[in-house]
Amino acid sequence: MMRLPVRPSCAVPIAVAAIVCATPAFAQTPSAAPRPAAPATATSTEPVAARLNRVQADLYGKVEHLDADVEELKAILGIDPNLAEAHMLLGLAYRGLGKPELVGESKAELQEALDLKPDLIPARFFLAEVYLTLGRYANVRDEMQTALQQAPGQPQFLAVLGEAERHLGNPTRSADLNQQALARDPTFVRARYYLALAQFDLGQRDQAIANLEQVAAAHVPEPDVYLSLGNAYLDANRATDATTVLEHAATMAPTRADVHIALARAYRTRGLLTKATEQLTLAKPAGDAVQPTEGYQQVETDLNVEWGRLRLRQGQLTAARTAFQKAIDIAPDNGAAHQGLAMVYLRQRDYAHADAEATRAATLGSPLSAADRQTLDAGLHRPAAGSAK
Amino acid sequence: MKGSLSLVLVAAVLAPVALAGQRRGAAPASAPVFTDITKAAGISFVHQSGATPDKYMYETFGSGVAWFDYDNDGYQDLYFVNGAAGAPNALYHNNHDGTFTDVTVKAGVAGIAGPAASKAYKTGVAVGDYDNDGFLDLYITGFGANLLYHNNGNGTFTDVTAKAGVAGSATEWSTSAGFFDYDGDGDLDLYVANYINFRRTDNPYCGFQKPGYRMYCSPTMFDGTADRLFRNNGNGTFTDVSRAAGIANPSGKGLGVVFCDVDADGRPNIYVANDQVRNFLYHNNGNGTFRDIAYGAGVGFDADGKPQAGMGVDCGDIDGDLKPDLFVTNFEDELDTLYKNQGGGLFADVSSTIGLRSSYLPLGFGTKLFDYDNDGDLDIYVTNGHVVDNVALYRPTSSYDQKDLLYENIGGRFRDISAQSGPAFQVKRVGRGLAVADFDNDGDLDVAISSVGRPPALLRNDAPPRHWLTLALHGTTSNRFGLGALVTVEAGGHRQALEVTNVASYLSSNDLRLHVGLGAATSASRITIRWPSGKTQTLTNVAANQILSVQEP
Repeated sequence: MMRLPVRPSCAVPIAVAAIVCATPAFAQTPSAAPRPAAPATATSTEPVAARLNRVQADLYGKVEHLDADVEELKAILGIDPNLAEAHMLLGLAYRGLGKPELVGESKAELQEALDLKPDLIPARFFLAEVYLTLGRYANVRDEMQTALQQAPGQPQFLAVLGEAERHLGNPTRSADLNQQALARDPTFVRARYYLALAQFDLGQRDQAIANLEQVAAAHVPEPDVYLSLGNAYLDANRATDATTVLEHAATMAPTRADVHIALARAYRTRGLLTKATEQLTLAKPAGDAVQPTEGYQQVETDLNVEWGRLRLRQGQLTAARTAFQKAIDIAPDNGAAHQGLAMVYLRQRDYAHADAEATRAATLGSPLSAADRQTLDAGLHRPAAGSAK
Repeated sequence: MKGSLSLVLVAAVLAPVALAGQRRGAAPASAPVFTDITKAAGISFVHQSGATPDKYMYETFGSGVAWFDYDNDGYQDLYFVNGAAGAPNALYHNNHDGTFTDVTVKAGVAGIAGPAASKAYKTGVAVGDYDNDGFLDLYITGFGANLLYHNNGNGTFTDVTAKAGVAGSATEWSTSAGFFDYDGDGDLDLYVANYINFRRTDNPYCGFQKPGYRMYCSPTMFDGTADRLFRNNGNGTFTDVSRAAGIANPSGKGLGVVFCDVDADGRPNIYVANDQVRNFLYHNNGNGTFRDIAYGAGVGFDADGKPQAGMGVDCGDIDGDLKPDLFVTNFEDELDTLYKNQGGGLFADVSSTIGLRSSYLPLGFGTKLFDYDNDGDLDIYVTNGHVVDNVALYRPTSSYDQKDLLYENIGGRFRDISAQSGPAFQVKRVGRGLAVADFDNDGDLDVAISSVGRPPALLRNDAPPRHWLTLALHGTTSNRFGLGALVTVEAGGHRQALEVTNVASYLSSNDLRLHVGLGAATSASRITIRWPSGKTQTLTNVAANQILSVQEP
């Protein structure tokens, strides 16, 4: 299966999220139509509604004043703590700040908004997005199913529900929901992106690449799109194409370790080992603290696997073995790491260990290539698999 | 009104000598302040966490401890909540000689009888005389149905949960709770903080996918749950008025709760410490409803505007301006937060400038503002312990077991004196519940601490003696034990404002008698009591070093 971005979901920036609020389905929300962005520097004598509208315009527009928006919304809630729209916008603003420590508060504000005003559908959508970020896919499903009862056929809801279904192991339903969204709005890139991810899960790589290319052509400012496409190209042995899109992703997200690792893989595949080394150096997480998150574990594992592969390619077998073993130490069930370790042992003609690692890798879905397996079997004095006796 | 005639001297304990020359805020002595006497006191209770490899979150949040005089013999008894389903709570009777006797079975307060109780993971404890019969009752919270034990007045208790209607939901995870009279009708109502919406069947894997590395999840993974407010109907039953009263915010992840009249309007407000979401300050509107004023008051977030991982909480005047301040313990890499009451409904987070730096690394839970050295101001005790039992795998400099902290109040600023305060502060524990009481009636406040999966600690206060007063209030129109009364004590030219409450800390309940340190003053020149009923009572020239029973006129 195609490797997807490490993060559990596509983090959609506020500008994209704002689309949902500009649709007719949300005409009942106050001042839903985007307004020119303006600094949130209201005076305390200004009516709350006017202050709220200005913040909303910023959050639904260019999103230029997030910190000021947060302060303004807190001030508004200091005046009226029961203003559902203010809670919703505060939840949205927290999310826009992109700080992990504010994810919980973002969720809390959105839940409070919905408690105060259950028909505030945008809040339900934003809440579903937070759940998506947290990997709480059943909650996403619940929220979007409720939202779709309130706004049937809404493409954003269909897409997010579809992505939740994919994570819940239902790629066929995911593809169906995203195709429904695209039937209503063929230009809806997010649905097309999610459709592509579902197609990968269904083994439809070429269709997925085609859809991802369409999404990329729309110049969506979302590095995950290019990361997914780059990984797809690598999977399809299109390393040059992969390099192009991954370099773009790295420009967009220079601190994303997963992007640098994928780009290193592309360079290595093309024999550009110095560039690959540079990318892996950039991918090293800052500081020594181990983050107990799935994402951190994945990045650390991938980083060590890629270091191992690079060192293997450079003939530095000891360094390669160390890297693969580090990866296995972090994630004992990582098939790629066991496969890499088998390759190291194979190069060292330690066939017994190579066989053990290769067998483990195969059980984890990462078998050796047929040629390498044949070499190993020869080393073990075994007949090649499938050969006549 | 003058009320000195209503005084009844219950006990007078002569303070030791050597009081002269000691002043308020004086630097502490170097001798050990607290001495661990758990074993010598006959406390054999061991908390059972019920920890499993599945890392159900409730396994690591511990259980509470309560001091209360269940038999009205004038001595504080001790109650420990146990965690795991089926593990019995323990009630220890105070033998008046520094030792305790386990009377759990006789009292019938193990908390494991019946189908609901036997399945619950027990967490917190609250104490109050909900039926004003003069005997303190017990409320036990848990992940599962909560329990109300009525004190029969003869050393036994009866489970009246169903009759009273205060079980809450069998799927809720209740934490800290407390009795208070929010509507001023003379009987005690009940507030129950609820934590996250957790299900054993929805227990995500968190941490590395590697043997031994699975860890307890962050509460961010889960939704909050609305707290509950039960109004006392005055006939042994309660009505859940959470939503009508305006305290049913479903985003809350409440762990600590305290009642405090922050604006001196005579009505108790509610402050809830939430975990990783903002804290709530519910202002009592005086008409049966509350309004969350945390945003406007500045007590929802830290000074940087970020929500913190609130755990334990207390309220008290730390700087002598007669306005109650708020204190919250938080996660590691967060300071414990002191919100200074600036008046006018505004607070300021002064944590970073007031001497609380030692709280940055440990993970704080139970806490109490109390005058441990009787010098006339409120000091701070914090018990610490991480929530991730294998945290050292991820962060070698951290540990599940952590040391307690003791801060001495020096003129409204704090100094960490833990290192000079005896071996008890060198012991690491997985601190959770904490409660204080003068269990030996010697005029200083002692500390009981619960620890996850470990024995508790009973720490006797051996601080150098100073003068003190303890007031045991007896309401007539007000609730029987005077919870919520505001007391101003003038002694030695110094005024202190205190509130009668046993609700503070984390999952725990404290001695509900009001303890006042008088420093070098041998008497209180004036004591003013504003009872919850609105009546005001003034006592004059009250001698120090006694436990006074004061009846509402």
